Amino acid sequence: MDVETMKVLAAGLCMGLGAIGPGIGIGILGMGAMQALGRNPEARGPIMTNMILAIAFAEAVAIYALVVAVVLIFVA
Amino acid sequence: MPKRGCLGCSFPVLIGIFVVFLVLMVISLLSGALGSSLFGDLGLPSWLTVPKPHLQLPAEVVFHLFGFPITNTILATWLSIIVLVGIAYAVTHRIRLIPSRLQSLLEFAIEWMLNLCKDVAGEKNGRRFFPIVTTIFLFVLMNAWLSLLPGFGSILITGAEGEPVYLLRGANTDINMPLALALISFVVVEYFGLRSRGFRYLGKFINVGQFFRSLGQLFRGKLKAGLSGLFTGAIDIFVGMLEALSEFVRIISFTFRLFGNMTGGEILILMMLFLAPWVLAIPFYGLELLIGFVQALIFGGLTLVFATIAVTPHEGETA
Repeated sequence: MDVETMKVLAAGLCMGLGAIGPGIGIGILGMGAMQALGRNPEARGPIMTNMILAIAFAEAVAIYALVVAVVLIFVA
Repeated sequence: MPKRGCLGCSFPVLIGIFVVFLVLMVISLLSGALGSSLFGDLGLPSWLTVPKPHLQLPAEVVFHLFGFPITNTILATWLSIIVLVGIAYAVTHRIRLIPSRLQSLLEFAIEWMLNLCKDVAGEKNGRRFFPIVTTIFLFVLMNAWLSLLPGFGSILITGAEGEPVYLLRGANTDINMPLALALISFVVVEYFGLRSRGFRYLGKFINVGQFFRSLGQLFRGKLKAGLSGLFTGAIDIFVGMLEALSEFVRIISFTFRLFGNMTGGEILILMMLFLAPWVLAIPFYGLELLIGFVQALIFGGLTLVFATIAVTPHEGETA
């Protein structure tokens, strides 16, 4: 298997495997936010704000995987 | 024609719009890459075919100014600065007590950001952090949304090396811009921490008080208390170093979050335009609008949160 094939395969695996963790994490965050909202619909503002903030943190890890995949294809 | 039916349009107009949309869908399917892989080469005129997008991560140099290379992303930041300053000037040079429409729109945006700052940081600190946070938010937002305007990425001129480059490119896709904003955010957070708490702010990172106190206890003969304090002191030093490291990692995290989201969005839209030119990119345009707004909010909001953490005294300390 030559280097070019390996690079493309590595890019695909990187993005695919790197999206599993953040996906599950964002789902757990959403579940927590829905439960909190169900218990206390009046606290919608702070709950949504904090949920968006936490989702951005979790998504950043998936973005790191995307950056590595893009670097593998276009730069390396 | 009677105004009834869907969206205020009468029924024949709706049928017309639907037919136009269907024709656009068929044309885009045939002329894109999806069509050429499904139906083979159809011999369409050259203005209807889409070339394979040439993706390039570093920004292309357009011209040199006093020996300093000006890339197309720098031109895009100048454009968003001009737009922001222009809007602000147009609203404030004849500011009225009963606001005009543009003024009330700006007032809504500013008041919304001010409420966010006050919610997160408290009354006094909210007003202190408001300028830098709102500037970062508006700048990133304008960069992201201006790059979605039709015609933004379409003007081709000859660049510095002689090959055709685009005149403008979304500013957040050049890694230097998120890096610069992340460094500014880091310096601002440290400045607010030092300014509010003096050099005790650095005590969060160099946490050697417990260690030396327990050494003193050992020398004075209290062995058991000294040893357990020594252990706690060592952990405190380690935690302090970890905190300092996480301050620096924050720069990298900010940079790559913004850069990755924006570049990923740009690549996504280019690929969708390559697959089926007119129609397939529409939902992704909506996604890019949302992502631009959320990322700008995240950048500003996280700067605000970290500044609040830096300014808040530890439990057990007086302010």
